[in-house]
Amino acid sequence: MSRALKLGVASAIALAAVVPVISSAKPIAFAHGTTVMAEYGAGTMEELQIFYAPRYFYSVGGGHLALQSDIDGRSRDITYARFNYLVKRWNREDSQANVFAWGGAGRANLSESSDDEFTWNAGFQVDYETRRVYASLKSDLYESSSFSHRLDTLQLAVAPYEHEYDGVATWLVVQGRRYTGEISDGTETAILLRVFKGAVWVEAGATTDGKLQAMFMLNF
Amino acid sequence: MFKSILMTGVLLMAAGVAQAGTIEMKVNGLVCAFCARGIEKSFHKNPAVADVVVSLEDKLVAVQTKEGTDIPDQELRATLTDAGYDIKTIERTDSPVAAIRERLKSLAK
Repeated sequence: MSRALKLGVASAIALAAVVPVISSAKPIAFAHGTTVMAEYGAGTMEELQIFYAPRYFYSVGGGHLALQSDIDGRSRDITYARFNYLVKRWNREDSQANVFAWGGAGRANLSESSDDEFTWNAGFQVDYETRRVYASLKSDLYESSSFSHRLDTLQLAVAPYEHEYDGVATWLVVQGRRYTGEISDGTETAILLRVFKGAVWVEAGATTDGKLQAMFMLNF
Repeated sequence: MFKSILMTGVLLMAAGVAQAGTIEMKVNGLVCAFCARGIEKSFHKNPAVADVVVSLEDKLVAVQTKEGTDIPDQELRATLTDAGYDIKTIERTDSPVAAIRERLKSLAK
Protein backbone atom coordinates (compact mmCIF):
# COMPACT_ATOMS: atom_id res chain seq x y z
CA MET A 1 0.00 0.00 0.00
CA SER A 2 1.42 3.37 -0.98
CA ARG A 3 2.15 6.02 1.61
CA ALA A 4 -0.54 8.26 0.04
CA LEU A 5 -3.20 5.55 0.32
CA LYS A 6 -2.20 4.73 3.89
CA LEU A 7 -2.51 8.43 4.72
CA GLY A 8 -5.94 8.54 3.02
CA VAL A 9 -7.26 5.53 4.93
CA ALA A 10 -5.85 6.91 8.20
CA SER A 11 -7.53 10.29 7.51
CA ALA A 12 -10.89 8.59 6.87
CA ILE A 13 -10.66 6.60 10.09
CA ALA A 14 -9.61 9.72 12.03
CA LEU A 15 -12.49 11.78 10.60
CA ALA A 16 -14.97 8.99 11.27
CA ALA A 17 -13.80 8.95 14.87
CA VAL A 18 -14.09 12.70 15.28
CA VAL A 19 -17.49 12.87 13.62
CA PRO A 20 -19.31 9.90 15.11
CA VAL A 21 -22.51 10.42 13.08
CA ILE A 22 -21.45 11.03 9.62
CA SER A 23 -24.17 11.33 3.87
CA SER A 24 -25.09 12.48 -0.52
CA ALA A 25 -23.59 11.98 -3.90
CA LYS A 26 -23.23 8.35 -2.99
CA PRO A 27 -21.79 5.49 -5.03
CA ILE A 28 -24.56 3.23 -3.70
CA ALA A 29 -28.20 4.34 -3.89
CA PHE A 30 -30.43 1.54 -2.58
CA ALA A 31 -30.93 -2.17 -3.23
CA HIS A 32 -31.67 -2.77 -6.94
CA GLY A 33 -30.98 0.88 -7.66
CA THR A 34 -28.87 2.29 -10.49
CA THR A 35 -26.87 5.49 -10.17
CA VAL A 36 -25.53 7.46 -13.12
CA MET A 37 -23.13 10.33 -12.38
CA ALA A 38 -21.44 12.77 -14.74
CA GLU A 39 -19.06 15.49 -13.61
CA TYR A 40 -17.24 18.32 -15.36
CA GLY A 41 -14.45 19.63 -13.17
CA ALA A 42 -13.21 23.05 -14.26
CA GLY A 43 -11.44 21.76 -17.40
CA THR A 44 -9.18 19.57 -15.26
CA MET A 45 -11.32 16.48 -14.94
CA GLU A 46 -14.35 14.91 -16.59
CA GLU A 47 -15.92 11.74 -15.25
CA LEU A 48 -18.83 9.48 -16.11
CA GLN A 49 -19.89 6.66 -13.78
CA ILE A 50 -22.64 4.07 -13.68
CA PHE A 51 -23.26 1.72 -10.76
CA TYR A 52 -25.86 -0.92 -9.94
CA ALA A 53 -26.48 -1.95 -6.32
CA PRO A 54 -27.68 -5.58 -5.85
CA ARG A 55 -27.83 -4.87 -2.09
CA TYR A 56 -27.86 -1.65 -0.09
CA PHE A 57 -24.27 -2.10 1.04
CA TYR A 58 -22.47 -2.64 -2.25
CA SER A 59 -22.59 -1.66 -5.89
CA VAL A 60 -20.71 -2.62 -9.04
CA GLY A 61 -20.12 -0.72 -12.21
CA GLY A 62 -17.58 1.35 -14.01
CA GLY A 63 -16.57 4.70 -15.26
CA HIS A 64 -14.37 6.85 -17.39
CA LEU A 65 -12.14 9.60 -16.05
CA ALA A 66 -10.34 12.12 -18.21
CA LEU A 67 -7.66 14.21 -16.52
CA GLN A 68 -6.07 17.23 -18.19
CA SER A 69 -3.03 18.79 -16.58
CA ASP A 70 -3.12 22.58 -16.39
CA ILE A 71 0.63 22.49 -15.65
CA ASP A 72 2.11 20.75 -18.69
CA GLY A 73 -0.91 19.78 -20.82
CA ARG A 74 -0.58 16.01 -20.19
CA SER A 75 -3.79 14.04 -20.28
CA ARG A 76 -4.95 10.68 -18.93
CA ASP A 77 -7.99 8.76 -20.12
CA ILE A 78 -8.83 6.11 -17.56
CA THR A 79 -11.57 3.52 -18.07
CA TYR A 80 -12.27 1.31 -15.08
CA ALA A 81 -14.50 -1.27 -13.42
CA ARG A 82 -15.19 -0.63 -9.73
CA PHE A 83 -16.66 -2.22 -6.61
CA ASN A 84 -18.16 0.17 -4.01
CA TYR A 85 -18.77 -0.89 -0.44
CA LEU A 86 -20.69 0.77 2.38
CA VAL A 87 -18.31 0.33 5.31
CA LYS A 88 -20.57 1.89 7.92
CA ARG A 89 -23.82 3.84 8.09
CA TRP A 90 -25.24 5.76 11.01
CA ASN A 91 -28.96 6.42 10.76
CA ARG A 92 -29.98 8.86 13.48
CA GLU A 93 -33.27 10.64 14.05
CA ASP A 94 -32.10 13.88 12.37
CA SER A 95 -29.03 12.81 10.42
CA GLN A 96 -27.36 10.17 8.32
CA ALA A 97 -23.65 9.49 8.01
CA ASN A 98 -21.72 7.07 5.86
CA VAL A 99 -18.30 5.70 5.19
CA PHE A 100 -17.82 4.24 1.72
CA ALA A 101 -14.75 2.59 0.23
CA TRP A 102 -14.08 1.42 -3.29
CA GLY A 103 -11.53 -0.17 -5.51
CA GLY A 104 -11.17 -1.18 -9.10
CA ALA A 105 -8.96 -1.66 -12.12
CA GLY A 106 -8.89 -0.71 -15.76
CA ARG A 107 -6.87 0.71 -18.62
CA ALA A 108 -5.30 4.11 -18.98
CA ASN A 109 -4.32 5.98 -22.09
CA LEU A 110 -1.57 8.57 -21.63
CA SER A 111 -0.98 11.54 -23.92
CA GLU A 112 2.77 10.92 -23.79
CA SER A 113 2.50 7.26 -24.84
CA SER A 114 0.69 5.44 -27.64
CA ASP A 115 0.19 2.28 -25.53
CA ASP A 116 -2.56 1.70 -22.97
CA GLU A 117 -1.49 0.50 -19.57
CA PHE A 118 -3.01 -1.26 -16.58
CA THR A 119 -4.29 1.02 -13.83
CA TRP A 120 -5.91 0.40 -10.46
CA ASN A 121 -7.87 2.74 -8.26
CA ALA A 122 -9.00 2.98 -4.66
CA GLY A 123 -10.81 5.56 -2.62
CA PHE A 124 -13.14 6.44 0.19
CA GLN A 125 -15.87 8.88 1.10
CA VAL A 126 -16.97 10.02 4.51
CA ASP A 127 -20.15 12.07 4.63
CA TYR A 128 -22.58 13.57 7.10
CA GLU A 129 -25.98 15.08 6.40
CA THR A 130 -28.92 16.66 8.14
CA ARG A 131 -31.75 18.51 6.36
CA ARG A 132 -29.77 21.76 6.67
CA VAL A 133 -26.09 20.80 6.72
CA TYR A 134 -23.97 18.55 4.50
CA ALA A 135 -20.29 17.67 4.63
CA SER A 136 -18.26 15.15 2.69
CA LEU A 137 -14.65 14.23 2.18
CA LYS A 138 -13.75 12.06 -0.77
CA SER A 139 -10.39 10.77 -1.94
CA ASP A 140 -9.73 8.95 -5.21
CA LEU A 141 -6.40 7.40 -6.05
CA TYR A 142 -5.41 6.24 -9.55
CA GLU A 143 -2.13 4.39 -10.01
CA SER A 144 -0.27 2.89 -12.92
CA SER A 145 3.36 2.17 -13.68
CA SER A 146 3.63 5.67 -15.21
CA PHE A 147 1.49 7.84 -12.95
CA SER A 148 -0.01 8.35 -9.54
CA HIS A 149 -2.89 10.80 -9.23
CA ARG A 150 -5.03 11.49 -6.22
CA LEU A 151 -8.12 13.70 -6.21
CA ASP A 152 -9.18 14.91 -2.78
CA THR A 153 -12.56 16.68 -2.62
CA LEU A 154 -14.11 18.38 0.38
CA GLN A 155 -17.67 19.66 0.20
CA LEU A 156 -19.44 21.75 2.82
CA ALA A 157 -23.04 22.75 2.19
CA VAL A 158 -26.00 24.47 3.80
CA ALA A 159 -29.64 24.39 2.80
CA PRO A 160 -31.58 27.68 3.09
CA TYR A 161 -34.71 25.69 3.93
CA GLU A 162 -35.60 22.13 4.87
CA HIS A 163 -36.84 20.32 1.77
CA GLU A 164 -39.70 17.84 1.83
CA TYR A 165 -39.89 14.49 0.06
CA ASP A 166 -42.00 15.76 -2.88
CA GLY A 167 -40.34 19.17 -3.03
CA VAL A 168 -37.28 20.76 -4.58
CA ALA A 169 -34.13 20.67 -2.48
CA THR A 170 -31.69 23.57 -2.74
CA TRP A 171 -28.19 23.61 -1.31
CA LEU A 172 -25.34 26.12 -1.39
CA VAL A 173 -22.05 24.25 -1.63
CA VAL A 174 -18.43 25.24 -1.16
CA GLN A 175 -16.05 22.73 -2.72
CA GLY A 176 -12.31 22.44 -2.36
CA ARG A 177 -10.33 20.02 -4.52
CA ARG A 178 -6.66 19.13 -4.73
CA TYR A 179 -4.86 16.99 -7.31
CA THR A 180 -1.54 15.22 -6.98
CA GLY A 181 0.75 14.02 -9.79
CA GLU A 182 1.14 17.40 -11.55
CA ILE A 183 -2.45 17.73 -12.72
CA SER A 184 -3.05 21.03 -11.02
CA ASP A 185 -1.30 23.10 -8.36
CA GLY A 186 -2.92 24.36 -5.21
CA THR A 187 -6.51 24.02 -4.14
CA GLU A 188 -9.33 24.50 -6.64
CA THR A 189 -12.18 26.21 -4.80
CA ALA A 190 -15.68 26.33 -6.25
CA ILE A 191 -19.05 27.73 -5.21
CA LEU A 192 -21.94 25.57 -6.35
CA LEU A 193 -25.70 25.52 -6.36
CA ARG A 194 -27.13 22.05 -5.79
CA VAL A 195 -30.74 21.32 -6.73
CA PHE A 196 -32.54 18.00 -6.68
CA LYS A 197 -36.06 16.72 -7.06
CA GLY A 198 -37.28 13.18 -7.61
CA ALA A 199 -34.58 11.11 -9.29
CA VAL A 200 -32.60 14.04 -10.69
CA TRP A 201 -29.72 15.87 -9.04
CA VAL A 202 -27.94 18.84 -10.64
CA GLU A 203 -25.03 20.78 -9.20
CA ALA A 204 -23.38 23.70 -11.02
CA GLY A 205 -21.21 26.69 -10.29
CA ALA A 206 -17.76 28.11 -10.87
CA THR A 207 -14.29 27.95 -9.42
CA THR A 208 -12.76 31.11 -7.98
CA ASP A 209 -10.88 31.59 -11.30
CA GLY A 210 -14.12 31.45 -13.25
CA LYS A 211 -14.13 27.89 -14.60
CA LEU A 212 -17.29 25.82 -14.82
CA GLN A 213 -17.81 23.08 -12.27
CA ALA A 214 -20.88 20.88 -12.73
CA MET A 215 -22.32 17.53 -11.73
CA PHE A 216 -25.40 15.58 -12.79
CA MET A 217 -26.76 12.49 -11.10
CA LEU A 218 -29.68 10.18 -11.71
CA ASN A 219 -31.02 7.44 -9.40
CA PHE A 220 -33.47 4.86 -10.69
CA MET B 1 -66.54 -28.99 20.48
CA PHE B 2 -63.52 -29.50 18.27
CA LYS B 3 -65.46 -28.08 15.30
CA SER B 4 -66.46 -24.93 17.17
CA ILE B 5 -62.86 -24.29 18.34
CA LEU B 6 -61.64 -24.80 14.78
CA MET B 7 -64.31 -22.44 13.40
CA THR B 8 -63.46 -19.78 15.97
CA GLY B 9 -59.78 -20.06 15.08
CA VAL B 10 -60.47 -19.79 11.34
CA LEU B 11 -62.73 -16.77 11.88
CA LEU B 12 -60.14 -15.03 14.06
CA MET B 13 -57.42 -15.66 11.48
CA ALA B 14 -59.66 -14.43 8.68
CA ALA B 15 -60.45 -11.28 10.64
CA GLY B 16 -56.72 -10.63 11.13
CA VAL B 17 -55.88 -11.13 7.47
CA ALA B 18 -58.86 -9.20 6.15
CA GLN B 19 -57.91 -6.14 8.18
CA ALA B 20 -56.81 -3.58 5.64
CA GLY B 21 -55.10 -0.53 7.03
CA THR B 22 -52.11 1.67 7.23
CA ILE B 23 -48.70 0.89 8.64
CA GLU B 24 -46.94 3.95 10.00
CA MET B 25 -43.19 3.63 10.51
CA LYS B 26 -40.93 6.13 12.21
CA VAL B 27 -37.62 5.94 10.38
CA ASN B 28 -34.12 7.04 11.34
CA GLY B 29 -31.80 8.66 8.79
CA LEU B 30 -34.59 10.15 6.70
CA VAL B 31 -32.98 13.48 5.78
CA CYS B 32 -32.61 13.47 1.97
CA ALA B 33 -35.45 13.08 -0.56
CA PHE B 34 -33.08 11.99 -3.34
CA CYS B 35 -31.72 9.17 -1.23
CA ALA B 36 -35.13 8.17 0.15
CA ARG B 37 -36.57 7.34 -3.28
CA GLY B 38 -35.58 3.72 -2.75
CA ILE B 39 -38.19 3.43 0.00
CA GLU B 40 -41.10 4.24 -2.29
CA LYS B 41 -39.64 2.11 -5.09
CA SER B 42 -39.17 -0.92 -2.85
CA PHE B 43 -42.63 -0.77 -1.27
CA HIS B 44 -44.35 -0.35 -4.64
CA LYS B 45 -42.82 -3.69 -5.69
CA ASN B 46 -44.71 -5.39 -2.85
CA PRO B 47 -48.09 -6.71 -4.12
CA ALA B 48 -49.69 -5.99 -0.73
CA VAL B 49 -49.00 -2.25 -1.00
CA ALA B 50 -51.68 0.13 -2.28
CA ASP B 51 -50.07 3.48 -1.47
CA VAL B 52 -46.96 4.94 0.15
CA VAL B 53 -46.23 8.33 1.64
CA VAL B 54 -42.86 9.59 2.89
CA SER B 55 -42.35 12.61 5.10
CA LEU B 56 -38.90 13.92 5.97
CA GLU B 57 -40.34 16.41 8.44
CA ASP B 58 -42.16 13.69 10.41
CA LYS B 59 -39.45 11.03 9.77
CA LEU B 60 -42.41 8.94 8.66
CA VAL B 61 -43.04 6.26 6.08
CA ALA B 62 -46.71 5.24 5.85
CA VAL B 63 -47.84 2.29 3.78
CA GLN B 64 -51.45 1.47 2.98
CA THR B 65 -52.04 -2.20 2.43
CA LYS B 66 -54.56 -3.66 0.04
CA GLU B 67 -57.81 -5.12 1.37
CA GLY B 68 -57.15 -8.46 3.07
CA THR B 69 -53.39 -8.10 3.23
CA ASP B 70 -50.74 -7.20 5.78
CA ILE B 71 -46.96 -7.00 5.76
CA PRO B 72 -45.09 -8.70 8.63
CA ASP B 73 -42.81 -6.45 10.72
CA GLN B 74 -39.78 -8.47 9.68
CA GLU B 75 -40.52 -7.75 5.99
CA LEU B 76 -41.06 -4.05 6.73
CA ARG B 77 -37.68 -3.88 8.48
CA ALA B 78 -35.97 -5.72 5.62
CA THR B 79 -37.47 -3.35 3.05
CA LEU B 80 -36.33 -0.26 4.93
CA THR B 81 -32.88 -1.76 5.52
CA ASP B 82 -32.53 -2.48 1.79
CA ALA B 83 -33.47 1.13 1.10
CA GLY B 84 -30.71 2.20 3.50
CA TYR B 85 -32.69 3.16 6.60
CA ASP B 86 -33.58 1.89 10.06
CA ILE B 87 -37.09 1.55 11.48
CA LYS B 88 -37.58 3.05 14.91
CA THR B 89 -41.25 2.18 15.51
CA ILE B 90 -44.06 0.41 13.66
CA GLU B 91 -47.70 1.22 14.30
CA ARG B 92 -50.82 -0.07 12.54
CA THR B 93 -53.60 2.51 12.23
CA ASP B 94 -56.92 3.00 10.48
CA SER B 95 -55.96 6.37 8.93
CA PRO B 96 -55.84 6.05 5.15
CA VAL B 97 -52.57 7.18 3.57
CA ALA B 98 -54.52 9.82 1.62
CA ALA B 99 -55.57 11.38 4.93
CA ILE B 100 -51.98 11.33 6.20
CA ARG B 101 -50.87 12.96 2.94
CA GLU B 102 -53.49 15.73 3.37
CA ARG B 103 -52.48 16.22 6.99
CA LEU B 104 -48.82 16.58 6.00
CA LYS B 105 -49.73 19.07 3.25
CA SER B 106 -51.76 21.22 5.65
CA LEU B 107 -48.90 21.19 8.17
CA ALA B 108 -46.45 22.31 5.45
CA LYS B 109 -48.57 25.41 4.60
